[in-house]
Amino acid sequence: MEDLFAEPARPSRPLTVAELVGGVRELVEEELGRVRVIGEISNLFRAASGHHYFTLKDDRAQIKAALFRGNATRIPFDLEEGLEFVVHAEVTVYTQRGELQIIVRDLEPVGQGALQLAFEQLRARLADEGLFAVEDKRSLPTFPRRVGIVTSPAGAAVRDVIRVSGDRFPGTPILIAPTRVQGERVEDEIAAAIERIQRQPEVDVILLVRGGGALEDLWGFNTERVARAIRACPVPVVSGVGHEVDVTIADLAADVRAATPSAAAMVALPDGDAWWDQLTALQGRLDRALRGRIDRGRLASRGVHARLLANAPAARLAADRARFAVAREALARTLGVALRDRVDARGRAADRLGRVGATLTPVRRSRVSSAAERLSRAGPRRLAANRQRLAEAAGRLDALSPLAVLSRGYAIAQGLDGRVLRRAAEVAPGEAVRVRLAEGVIEAEVTSVTPDRPDGD
Amino acid sequence: MGTGTDGSVDEMSFEGALERLEAIVDQLEEGDLGLEEALAAFEEGVALSRRCAGELDAAERRIEILVQTGDGDTAPFDSLGEGADAGSGDPD
Repeated sequence: MEDLFAEPARPSRPLTVAELVGGVRELVEEELGRVRVIGEISNLFRAASGHHYFTLKDDRAQIKAALFRGNATRIPFDLEEGLEFVVHAEVTVYTQRGELQIIVRDLEPVGQGALQLAFEQLRARLADEGLFAVEDKRSLPTFPRRVGIVTSPAGAAVRDVIRVSGDRFPGTPILIAPTRVQGERVEDEIAAAIERIQRQPEVDVILLVRGGGALEDLWGFNTERVARAIRACPVPVVSGVGHEVDVTIADLAADVRAATPSAAAMVALPDGDAWWDQLTALQGRLDRALRGRIDRGRLASRGVHARLLANAPAARLAADRARFAVAREALARTLGVALRDRVDARGRAADRLGRVGATLTPVRRSRVSSAAERLSRAGPRRLAANRQRLAEAAGRLDALSPLAVLSRGYAIAQGLDGRVLRRAAEVAPGEAVRVRLAEGVIEAEVTSVTPDRPDGD
Repeated sequence: MGTGTDGSVDEMSFEGALERLEAIVDQLEEGDLGLEEALAAFEEGVALSRRCAGELDAAERRIEILVQTGDGDTAPFDSLGEGADAGSGDPD
């Protein structure tokens, strides 16, 4: 292809194909050279060599394109069919095939930044792979023994984390794994710091933090390398990169995404104030519980003491007395009713006694009368028992009194000696008998005797 | 985490100490302990609560930085961040 196409033509000799194509190529390269062309990628082929081949087209034409490895590695995103790009390229001819083609130096996605596209692509790819799966997120320890921080030691982020963690839970030690957070190949350094700090003893949680910045400043956190380091880390990772609005691949890969470095410290460390409250409450309960236990003991011993006193003889007596007083009261209430009845009964009994007394022997009479007198003296305040007994006695007396029978028309027959006659055979005709009626006595003579039931009758 | 009732109170994690304290308070509140046991439990509870309070109220914070040499060597870190011009062009 070194042949000079521009040399004076010799009409007598036909051009070789190589001469023709080479001549076209020279023309094209000289006339067009570097171009910017807008089109859509199709028929993309990634060769094992790292070169990319595709067709750039619009709705009316197409042209072959090649993106060689050296340029391909500088492009942050992946080529993707159907996407539209502004392509920076050199136009040439692929001599062996006689095909027009462009050699691509660079591509700019149309409608979005290259980094944005790269971010979207990486996010989609890692998400498809399951790297951001929610079920793989690890929960953070309530009380980390030690907190690891992966960040720049010179940044504002580390100071924010130290300040906030001091406010939250100052007793938790902090270990910093220093790393650059922006610049060329920074992702390797960040990943190495994550790998290094996870091996340190007692580090129970790792904060991956960085202050805010432009998308390209945060780029280290938007790399597959860092995402994989986070997922491979045996210790849960909290990310706090940039400002609230920035979401990085590292955020998506982290077990917990905090919006800022300060927020990362908030979630990683327990709320000391809340635990103070809980601890204070526990201390209060501890004190009360012990005091309660002591009081219970005192109460129990007091109870035993009280029972001891209660069982002393004097106390027993007092208790009996009290019980007695209560019983007496109840009794008195009952008796209040009974008493009226009994006073009435007493009146009747006295009457009867009086009547009986009139018919009785002087001795009996005096006895009855003294009884009647005692009875009349028996005031309402006399013991109920006596009254009861008296009433009973009066009743019995009443029943026994012959008067009661005689008054119903019966009579008592007596011999002259005073014995009461019970059988007719006890007297003989002509003998004198005394018949006592309810009122008065008849002296009579037996005229005949008829045994009620003669034997054998 | 190093919870557990064995080992001295100082060696316990905050979480372990707090859990133990809670258990002691529960036990005391149930009131089944004899007076002597109750007193012993109370004393342990007080020690635990002091230990927890100490961590919540730490006067001296431990902040270290891994140094580049060696795998686990650390140096104290100036928490004010002034001493840290440690080779980073970080604008933050």
